Amino acid sequence: MSAPVSRLAILLALLRKELLVFSRDKLYLFLTALTLVIVVAFYHLLPDAVDETITVGLSPSVQNLVEASAESLAALGVPEASIAELRDAPRLAQEQGLILTEFDTAEEMAAAIESGDEVQIGVAVPPDFVERVLAGERDIEVTVYSQAAVPSEVQAAMSGFIREIARQLAGEELPVRFPAEDLIILGPDRMGDQIPLRDRMLPMFALMILLMESFALASLISVEVLQRTASAVLVTPARVSDMLAAKAIFGSGLAFVQGMFVLAVLGAFTSANWLPLTLTMLIGALIFTSLAMVAGAAGKDFMGQVFYTMGFTVPLLIPAFAILFPGSAATWVTFLPTWPLLDVIVGVTVYDAVLADVWPSMLMALAWGLALYAVGLVVLRKKVHSL
Amino acid sequence: MTGPAIKVEGLSYSYGATKALDEVAFSVAPGEILGFLGPNGAGKSTTIKLLTGQLAKQSGEATVLGVPIERDNSEIQAQIGVCFEEKNLYPNMSALENLDFFASLFGIADPDSMGMLRRVGLAERAKERVQGFSKGMRQRVMISRALINRPKVLFLDEPTAGLDPVSAAEIRKMIKEEATRGAAVLLTTHDMHEADELSDKVAFINEGRIVALDTPQDLKLRFGKRAVRVRLRDGDGVREESYPLDGEGSSADIAALLASPELMTIHTEEATLEAIFIELTGRGLKA
Repeated sequence: MSAPVSRLAILLALLRKELLVFSRDKLYLFLTALTLVIVVAFYHLLPDAVDETITVGLSPSVQNLVEASAESLAALGVPEASIAELRDAPRLAQEQGLILTEFDTAEEMAAAIESGDEVQIGVAVPPDFVERVLAGERDIEVTVYSQAAVPSEVQAAMSGFIREIARQLAGEELPVRFPAEDLIILGPDRMGDQIPLRDRMLPMFALMILLMESFALASLISVEVLQRTASAVLVTPARVSDMLAAKAIFGSGLAFVQGMFVLAVLGAFTSANWLPLTLTMLIGALIFTSLAMVAGAAGKDFMGQVFYTMGFTVPLLIPAFAILFPGSAATWVTFLPTWPLLDVIVGVTVYDAVLADVWPSMLMALAWGLALYAVGLVVLRKKVHSL
Repeated sequence: MTGPAIKVEGLSYSYGATKALDEVAFSVAPGEILGFLGPNGAGKSTTIKLLTGQLAKQSGEATVLGVPIERDNSEIQAQIGVCFEEKNLYPNMSALENLDFFASLFGIADPDSMGMLRRVGLAERAKERVQGFSKGMRQRVMISRALINRPKVLFLDEPTAGLDPVSAAEIRKMIKEEATRGAAVLLTTHDMHEADELSDKVAFINEGRIVALDTPQDLKLRFGKRAVRVRLRDGDGVREESYPLDGEGSSADIAALLASPELMTIHTEEATLEAIFIELTGRGLKA
């Protein structure tokens, strides 16, 4: 009797076969390459900085407003230097990130806002606004013009801003007192250093690569099941466990390598984050491979396999959207397996977190990965045994 | 080894409440071909799945090369070759790659895959992907794959089903060569002529039970009806009749027939395995 074949030799043979079969699958090769190109191209097309300046229309111009009230201001004893400072308000505002676009009339400003090219929101006050405020009038008509797309909180802020100016001009003290710093920022202050959209989308890109590879692996599995090549393999010294191990290693490896490649091309790695990021991508690859094993076993044909893969994996992108739009995540989203995964990716790539900061989320992601892998193994083993 | 290559005793298997095998018993010696005949669902494939380790045994005993069968038994699987009814090759791989891959699962470092393909007449197309092959070509690759490890036991499930007569004849020739080499062959087929031509012994299986097991010749002698078919002049035409050779009065009938001036031709008629199967089970093989 010949010597028994080593499990390692069988595993390597199965892995070589997986690679060969994958490399011959033109559809998934094309889709893989396309996804890589699209992700990298899309990343570089997105803006790499956040424009924090706010453009606000004003009618009439500051110059006209000050001129119309110059006598009253002088009568109140306002020094000439202060009046000059008022005239210089547009320049001073620009230094604070607020661009004042001045219009002679409210109609001109409304037309400009409607066209939306230059300014999206503006305020129209009467030409004698300052004078009437100083006179203590209570019924001054001020109109805020806004495009529909401007968020309601910005519209409300503009109204509040005008009321605040009017109160200050009238010498009214507000009934609240702010601390000396005015505003306390909790966490890192990102004033002037906001996270660009493309960086916020980085986790989404990483998940898309993993998702794409889970399609490819599910296809490889379902083809093996449907064409019954698995049966042919299992009447040789190869065992079901060898076959499952080869699928898991190949699938995870494929997803992991491509995910790492994309993150490297997009410059996500730093000397501080490479370890948690690498470990997290490995866990992510495990999660998506596990789901691909379930989808590949469940699908009865190509469409079925696509359906199941979509059904299992697309919901896992939801946390990436939640991170893209902070504050939008419902509680249940945080229970999805990809939430801790994304939490780590975002932490280390966007907020400069290190392993010590993100290990709880990494452990949670690993727990999900192992649980899903166990499910994938059971489902696929059952399917193979039923052939 | 000196004993039977396959030995099965009282093997039973059920899929839920459905009994697929019921106390099946047979043996196959090295160099012997056992034709396993039965209609679809009779239990042929279940028997092969049990013996090749694809299913776990439920009751009864069976050994392959002296090793008790069990699921995923690598010791047995290293020494057997299986040719499935489905053409389960990797379509995106070439014929050569398919054979090399399966050889590597047997731990064969330097397989003679090209030699195997030459043997089945596919050497010139060895590097072409299997997806472009005809059914007959794929079947020849399947046979090559089953033989890549020079198995001591061959399980062939409908190896010539759907093939053209030339391809079928080539594959039958290879099966005979393997038996001559010393391999024990368990052959399932619907084709009675194939079973008759190839098998040293034939087992009829129906509804999970073996209803007859013997050499084709002995089965015919035991269960078949001998007869002569004659052609007689009938006025301006010709009529055909069949006369049994067994039974009371048959000798007198034959003697009278031979003396008749109307007799044109006379041929002995041998019972077919299919007729015997129908007689024993009350159903045809293609049912």
